[in-house]
Amino acid sequence: MDKVCCCLEVDTHVIVTGVMSLYAHKKQQQHKMNYVPGTASLIDDIDKKHLVLLRDGRTLIGYLRSIDQFANLVFHQTVERIHVGKKFGDIPRGIFIVRGENVVLLGEIDMDKPCDTVLQQVSIEEILEEQRLQQQAKQETEKVKMQVLKDRGLSIPKADNLDEY
Amino acid sequence: MFRFQSLNEDCMLEEEDDGLIEDEDEIDQFNDDTFGAGAIDDDWQEEHKRLAELDERDELGAGLGFGGGGMGGDSDLSTSERPSSTRIPSSVVHPPPPSSLASLSFSSSSSRLPPSDVEDRVGEGDLAESLARLILDADPAIAGVGAAERPGLPPGSSGSGLSALRGLDQPRVLPQPSPILPPTQPHQHPQHQLPPGLPASGLPPSSMLSYQQQQHLLRRGTAPMGQMSSHSIWENSMGFGPVSVTPGLLTHMEDNPLMSIIKEVGHPKRAPQGRNDEDLSERAPPPRSSSPVIGSPPVRAVPIGTPPKQPMSHALNHQIHHPTAVHVRAPVQHRYPAPFPERLSPNTLLNIANSPLCRGPFPPRVGPVLSQIQRAQLLNSQVAGFPRGGPPPLLPGGGGFRPFFGGPPPPHGHRMGPPPPHGPPNHAPPLRHNTTHLHPQHRRMLTQRMQSRGGDRRPGMDRRSRDPYSNLMTQKEKEWVTKIQMMQLQSTDPYLDDYYYQNYYEKMEKRQEKEQDSSKKEHTTKLITPQVAKVEHTYRPVQFAGSLGKLTVSSVNNPRKMIDAVVTTRSDDEEKREKQVWNKRRQILYTVEKMYSLLLEVQDFEKCFVQAPEEDREALLEQHKSNTEQLCSSLREKEWDDRVSDEQCVMIMSVRKGKRLISRLLPFLPSMQAAAVVMAIARNLPALAKKDKQDQVLCWLVEPVSAVIQSLSSASLTDLLQELQGSEGQLATVLHNKFGVTLLYVILSEGERMQSSDPNCQLMDDNRWTELVFSVTRELLSVPSSSLSPPLFTPPNLLSLFSRYVDRQRLELLQDKLQ
Repeated sequence: MDKVCCCLEVDTHVIVTGVMSLYAHKKQQQHKMNYVPGTASLIDDIDKKHLVLLRDGRTLIGYLRSIDQFANLVFHQTVERIHVGKKFGDIPRGIFIVRGENVVLLGEIDMDKPCDTVLQQVSIEEILEEQRLQQQAKQETEKVKMQVLKDRGLSIPKADNLDEY
Repeated sequence: MFRFQSLNEDCMLEEEDDGLIEDEDEIDQFNDDTFGAGAIDDDWQEEHKRLAELDERDELGAGLGFGGGGMGGDSDLSTSERPSSTRIPSSVVHPPPPSSLASLSFSSSSSRLPPSDVEDRVGEGDLAESLARLILDADPAIAGVGAAERPGLPPGSSGSGLSALRGLDQPRVLPQPSPILPPTQPHQHPQHQLPPGLPASGLPPSSMLSYQQQQHLLRRGTAPMGQMSSHSIWENSMGFGPVSVTPGLLTHMEDNPLMSIIKEVGHPKRAPQGRNDEDLSERAPPPRSSSPVIGSPPVRAVPIGTPPKQPMSHALNHQIHHPTAVHVRAPVQHRYPAPFPERLSPNTLLNIANSPLCRGPFPPRVGPVLSQIQRAQLLNSQVAGFPRGGPPPLLPGGGGFRPFFGGPPPPHGHRMGPPPPHGPPNHAPPLRHNTTHLHPQHRRMLTQRMQSRGGDRRPGMDRRSRDPYSNLMTQKEKEWVTKIQMMQLQSTDPYLDDYYYQNYYEKMEKRQEKEQDSSKKEHTTKLITPQVAKVEHTYRPVQFAGSLGKLTVSSVNNPRKMIDAVVTTRSDDEEKREKQVWNKRRQILYTVEKMYSLLLEVQDFEKCFVQAPEEDREALLEQHKSNTEQLCSSLREKEWDDRVSDEQCVMIMSVRKGKRLISRLLPFLPSMQAAAVVMAIARNLPALAKKDKQDQVLCWLVEPVSAVIQSLSSASLTDLLQELQGSEGQLATVLHNKFGVTLLYVILSEGERMQSSDPNCQLMDDNRWTELVFSVTRELLSVPSSSLSPPLFTPPNLLSLFSRYVDRQRLELLQDKLQ
């Protein structure tokens, strides 16, 4: 699995690498074989800490324990990380099973790499509050926009359900 | 009648039943023979009680006393954690005398059978019973595997369990990779509870007994012990690792005596309902009579795509290397059929094994999960290279069953490359099977690399080793996912399915060859996708010899055509004839059409000529001539033959349009040819008349023909008349036909005209004309008036003609006829 650039971590370390050539022999951190050389497979990512972004915008961090042919993922000791501005908060969630189609991107977290970010971790309540405020602000602007458009006789459909297209 | 018979039969049955019930002692024998192996006539309530007793015993003894009990250390034996296997190699060498039996295992066996039992029962039938019970208690493997092939150990091995157990050291007996389950390595403390299914797990009582003694006991036959409930058998013994089975005994599992005992004593009943859910995936579907090719695909209790619980590396190999068109069957778990009717998969056994261990907070259903974790922990511990402060509390039982259910020892690489616990961490784990695609050079490089990495594995490995939840996904499952991914890459025609990838790959290879001409040639790994051979499947409806028609069986594998459209062709001869006929007709029509077009041009010539300007007239004239020529030639049968072909004319005139054509054509023909045509007509008049029956258009020809006749010379006229009368009876036919009559009259009238007009007419020069006329008159007179068809017109001078030749009387008659 190619490691994805992700700068959102504080306590864990993220590696930033370029996309590895598919034909280069991968660096073996374990003595495990590259199961399907020449292609991308999640098998080599098992038992490693990952960050996954879901289609609904959630960010989950956890140890990838199991996969299947649909890239359904089983995460262990999962933590949902909410970002609002420069702050973030972790909500421990336990075990997650993510249906493969809902994954936007998935990247391994390199524990070794030192991480320096500007993000500030806050408590859960605080981050939830922040998120709520953010949502509220967003809704209000949206409302205003809709009103303005309505006054002009235009209507733009909401982008909620774009996924269904 | 029938009723009476049935009554009789009923009576018979009753008698038989009574007879059976009478002899208690012999029942089992009869049962065995009559009702098949394993049939037990028992009371379930008794069993239940026994079960309860056994349960209590087991709980107290923690089961392991079996293993420890065996060999002789009394004090040691009480600790349930020592495996018997450690004892066995060291202690008993010779078969212990029977007297020592009592002092041995039974004293400390968790089954709590008093040693006196054995003593007392030696020589009694009950000994066999208790022995059997112990056997079954201690080692479910026997019952579970029973007839399972015990690889390698010859039955002739020395009777002591030792040597056999030593034999267990050999990998073939322990197909399981040794690092996981090193039961026979004395220096290592085996885990607390070895997988119960281990071959090393033994039967302490049996290990006590000498081979011969065991045989003796077994052969004695046993009183019916009643059925041991499956619960007790499996539950108690499964977790008891050190229980060892005397390989001698093991090997004789295949022999009849023990088998019969087991059958008699009992076989595991169906697992209780609570376990059925988990067993579904392992349960084999009931045998179906449908073959995989013809019939419907077999019913799967578990849908295709469920991750396997069992090792299926061999299946994986097979799939990747030899993809077949046969559907994928359930993973091969039941390769070794259990001796009992019900099949207990290793997972079932595992579950049962785990359940007593997991008693307490965990319901039995948690078994498999725990087993995974156990396995993972075990792996971790071994991967880390050191025992983790004592064996993990719960050892995975799943691994233990591999020896029973995995045929060829799975390559060691199947595990996460676990080196043997005592092995150096630098030991290069063998390559996995799925890297067989790799170039051998590449493989060497990889192994080297892995070995070199053995050192720096430590820092990274530690973290992973500390992760208690790693390796939850087993190797098999990883392989399974990989297999699915590889299967998706299968293609019969890669250049069709994945053209761009193939080209890209080739480009890359070429580039790499150029760049890396040096030793680092096989640096890169290659993905070799499985190539599926293109198999041409032609549908052949299933047919059995001797059956009528085709089967109505239709399934996914052999869809049957709903409509069997069979092309039937007529016989060749008929076809040919019909074809010929049609061809000829077509040809005639074609000729007629061609001639018609020519004729029309010819007919229009004058008009065109008049209208055409001066300069074109010559051309027109030329064309006219050529047209005429063509017309004439078309009447000829052969190109070089100048004569008008009769056949051709007749052919043309067989068609209605053809007759019309001729009638229009005649004026344009040169006189010779016209005469010839008329001759032909006269000659073939009967045939023409016959063909004209439908059309009735011959009369169209009258005018042109008469015109032609009038231009005829006397000789030709005579000829014509002769032709008309040609064959016998032709005249009669002629007279029947209107046209014929008309023609005749025309001819005669013309003759008359000739005679009357020109006294020097040569008509009378020879007698032909006279004779012909005479014959005509004769015919006319003889023919009845009714059959004489009225002509189109009657030339007036006929009478005068006739008057010359016939007498008055006949003349009058003729006159009548002519009118």
